[in-house]
Amino acid sequence: MRRYVVGRLGQVILTLLIYITLVYFLLQAMPGDITMMYLSNPKIPQAAREELRTQLGLDQSLFMQYISYMKNFFKGELGVSFSQYPKPVWDILMERLPRTFVLFLTANVLSFYIGFVLGKVIAWRRGKAIDYAATVVGITFWTAFYPLLALVVIWIFAYNLKWLPLNQFIDPRLWSTAPFTANQVFGNMVYGAAIVGVGIFCIFYYLLRGLKPSRRSHVQAWSLTAALIAVALVFAQRKGILIYIWDITRHMILPVLTLTLINFAGTMLLMRDSMLETVQEDYVMAARAKGLPDRVVRDRYAARTALLPTVTSLVLSLASSMSGGMVTETMFSWPGLGQILFTAALSNDYPLATGALAFTGIFLLIAHFVADILYAVLDPRITYTGQSGV
Amino acid sequence: MDTLLRLEDLTMHYKTKAGWVQAIDGVSFSLDRGQSLGLVGESGCGKTSIAMSIMRLLPYNAELVKGRILMDGHDLYALSDEEVRQLRWKEVAMIFQAAMNSLNPVYSVGNQIIEAIVTHEPETSEEEARDRAESLFELVGIPKERMDHYPHEYSGGMKQRAVIAMALACNPRLIIADEPTTALDVIVQDKILREIEDIRRKINMSMIYISHDVSVIAEVSDIVGVMYAGKLLELGPCCDVFKRPKNPYTYSLMRAYPSILGEKHDLATIPGEPPNLLDPPSGCRFHPRCDWATKECREVEPPWREIAEGHYLACHNPIKTQQVKSCMQQETAKGGEGIGASFGN
Repeated sequence: MRRYVVGRLGQVILTLLIYITLVYFLLQAMPGDITMMYLSNPKIPQAAREELRTQLGLDQSLFMQYISYMKNFFKGELGVSFSQYPKPVWDILMERLPRTFVLFLTANVLSFYIGFVLGKVIAWRRGKAIDYAATVVGITFWTAFYPLLALVVIWIFAYNLKWLPLNQFIDPRLWSTAPFTANQVFGNMVYGAAIVGVGIFCIFYYLLRGLKPSRRSHVQAWSLTAALIAVALVFAQRKGILIYIWDITRHMILPVLTLTLINFAGTMLLMRDSMLETVQEDYVMAARAKGLPDRVVRDRYAARTALLPTVTSLVLSLASSMSGGMVTETMFSWPGLGQILFTAALSNDYPLATGALAFTGIFLLIAHFVADILYAVLDPRITYTGQSGV
Repeated sequence: MDTLLRLEDLTMHYKTKAGWVQAIDGVSFSLDRGQSLGLVGESGCGKTSIAMSIMRLLPYNAELVKGRILMDGHDLYALSDEEVRQLRWKEVAMIFQAAMNSLNPVYSVGNQIIEAIVTHEPETSEEEARDRAESLFELVGIPKERMDHYPHEYSGGMKQRAVIAMALACNPRLIIADEPTTALDVIVQDKILREIEDIRRKINMSMIYISHDVSVIAEVSDIVGVMYAGKLLELGPCCDVFKRPKNPYTYSLMRAYPSILGEKHDLATIPGEPPNLLDPPSGCRFHPRCDWATKECREVEPPWREIAEGHYLACHNPIKTQQVKSCMQQETAKGGEGIGASFGN
């Protein structure tokens, strides 16, 4: 296993190198450069423009620029943004990253969970009304034109019903007097959610892992979970950030809703297909013959093995969502990574665009890596010791 | 001896797009405690359907047309789903046709056995269940260290043994073994059959063996039922049925199997193939393939009657012993050998 991990890490680094190179040259291949933006401005003389080019290093040959970029990249230097001069790219990305991360992690986990549960249920009750209903609804949303769906959702919930804010991620009136910055609150949200998440995982792992049905106490697990969340909320209240967390949450609801609506059917249909195969397996019939309760047969036998292929889709969607779903962030004016990538590309801000794309790539590679490890954890037949499993 | 399981005129059909498939038609037999019954017949003649009916694990398109299954005098089909669930494995366990695939690949084999025990005996703690699973492993001859291994780490024979251990987990009174050894090589097959028989005798358990392999059935069954196209054609004590077969189908089936002992003889295949159960032949279902068929066989369904103590038959023209003898003599003349030698026990 360790040899596998080390070898795989080497692959990740090599792939990253190739990826950054490609991204770098592709962005450079765009016509013009940052100084062209001032072309129509007659007040900037040609000499000043040349001066700017020299300062930004754009007068050097492309190859030299590439070499110095790569040198800096592996030193952790992503350079200075052209369009937000002289802000370092790193700072801009670090400001944006948590927002994107929180939004898309929530949406993906939610849509995966809903898709998984629905897929499991409709596969178990295939051919019944719920199967048709969920499939039709799921596919309708899945094939919907995403920006249009976003607009409809905004129109209904924000414009007509006025339940939720239209866009942005905070309410400026509330935050003008706030003693924190939005990113501090975001940071706390991420840490808090991580702690609560691990806690919930432990609770369910320890309370529900027993083979004995009577020992698996769902009530206990859920009440402990509720208690944990309550403690977290009280803690946030005591620190005075609860109201700000609530504000951010309110702003998140619409984008998360839209993303979930459009994405859940993917997991659901994958899970349904996968499970329709596993319910045919002999061990599912054997489990039934063993007199296990229906729910146990469904969850521990049919769904447990059907889960394996769907994990791939979860991990990959997590990774690609880090690029920030440019469309989502634009539709909801969510100041995240996707939005900055979009504006950077439009304004020929190579360092910023390259940096944003580099982060996407890193996440994608890490996600693939994690997926490989996760397979081995979930499926005992997969081992990475060099011996084949099956 | 007291009766454990009784099937009374069991008739079960599958609904398909093409119509009703008459998978089981009027099957009756009873099984005493500690007795073993072998069901033999070609593929698709309803053997597994009978097993599934007894487990009440039929697919959703199956319909019990008439008849009853009595377990200990209780009608299985009068019970609720939950009651049946509790009966399964505790009363009737099963060794599946594809034992290789009847273990869940993502849980350890030991856990799957413990799970069966604690589900049916809530008062047993997981630790006690583990001890019992360990002794079951020893009983079927798997080292108990292998309990925490996953099915893919087992060989075919070990999986088969593990499945047998699993069937024994709740001390059932009846085990249905559906082709328990088909996927194994002959040597392992024989060994496992003997082991099952040993255990069965030891704990006085009833058993239903299902196989298309006459030699397997002959080896392990007290009574034998010969099935054809959803109907039972002959049923009786093993030695009676195989030494003095009365139904031409039983006889043909036996002649279609090679014998290891004795001299070579040509295998006599049964011409044709089993009928389509969507539209089974009139009269006796075997008549299109039967050498002895008469007009009566084509038109009238043969009644199920007892011809000797415990020996039942559905046939208009049962084979006379002389006929068998003359056939055997012909074969001997051709360099073959008798039926008695291959199936005598």
